[in-house]
Amino acid sequence: MTSASEGARSSGAQESRHAALDTLMRAAQAGDRQAYHALLQEVALRMRRLIASRAPWLGQADVEDIVQDVLLSLHMARATWDPSRPFMPWIAAIARNRLTDHARRYKRRQSFDQAASDLAEAFSTTSGHCHAEGVVNLMSVRHAMSDLSPGERRAFELVRMREMSLAEAAATEDSTVGAIKVAVHRASRKLKKAINRDGEETR
Amino acid sequence: MKTDALIDSLAREAGPVRPLASPLRRLGGWLAIALGFALAMVWAIGPRPDLAERLLEARFLLEQGAALVTAITAALAALALTMPDAARFWRWLPVIPGAAWLGTLGLGCLRDWAQMGPAGLRITPDPECFVYIALIGSLPLLVLVLMLRKGAPLRPSWTLALAALAAAAIGNFALRLFHTQDAALMVLVWQVGAVALIAAIAGLCGRQVLRWPGVPA
Repeated sequence: MTSASEGARSSGAQESRHAALDTLMRAAQAGDRQAYHALLQEVALRMRRLIASRAPWLGQADVEDIVQDVLLSLHMARATWDPSRPFMPWIAAIARNRLTDHARRYKRRQSFDQAASDLAEAFSTTSGHCHAEGVVNLMSVRHAMSDLSPGERRAFELVRMREMSLAEAAATEDSTVGAIKVAVHRASRKLKKAINRDGEETR
Repeated sequence: MKTDALIDSLAREAGPVRPLASPLRRLGGWLAIALGFALAMVWAIGPRPDLAERLLEARFLLEQGAALVTAITAALAALALTMPDAARFWRWLPVIPGAAWLGTLGLGCLRDWAQMGPAGLRITPDPECFVYIALIGSLPLLVLVLMLRKGAPLRPSWTLALAALAAAAIGNFALRLFHTQDAALMVLVWQVGAVALIAAIAGLCGRQVLRWPGVPA
């Protein structure tokens, strides 16, 4: 068989799969719960595949989070689908919207991770710069962050990670400059100790 | 929650839904309410004494026509943008009538200047225009926002800015039926300026007013 006819066959198969989705969605709008169940499963499957190929670094929980978000959005918007139009472009627009939103949040989280990793490097007294050590240090910071008191953690986040001034952090936290300064200092000391301790342990 | 469990519960609670009517049909409903309210306000405030005369003037009709078409296209674009698969060009729909509106007023400025010299281009404070436009536009905007929330406002800033443009342009259309201010530059600055300001403020509030899909980020 020639590749052209193979291509034609696969595009034909895809068209019929898309038409099947149109039929399911039409039935779902009419109140057919089974059709709706099948449709949601199919969308979940496709979304999982899409996310896995676009963002292979995401963990299982994150992927499921996005899939569920898309399903909920589909559910809430299901009256906006015009049965005379194809289903795929409609769900693709919704999925794109939800993915962009997640990417924005992911980026924010990533910049937080970057700040934590910079910190780990800055605090580490060990001389090694290999990747493995960086990872260990990053993990240590994250681990050590959970040992801080809530006040220390907030103060540290505001001043060191979001780069607020002491006065701004004090205003945000409804506290005094002195108290914030002490909290940041204590947090830094604890983190530094934790990183050095973990560094010793892994050596 | 597991995804399968979510699918089960969504499918269980899903009853039949009526697909939203087409943007064009919903526009008809909105226009009836918006124009009805605007004309009622004109009647309540009292139409300008020279209205019959103005209605025979091509320039007045052209400016009013452009304002009305801008309102209609902006409302249609806002409604279309709440359908997820709407094409991107919808948001640019009011550009041509909007440009025509600005163009007729711009030409009006030139004509005023040719006829009256610098006096034709004098700007004096006329802040009540803003108040009237906001007042008359308020109900049409409220109705349109309620209609938009039934859809899926994937582009909330654009959608709300277009909706406010539509409502404020209706407000301006009505204003000129009772407010005796025809100097083109005055209309351009105080009235079209108010319409643009209202649309810009609405654009900034889009995400808060038309949050979608309604769950906090």
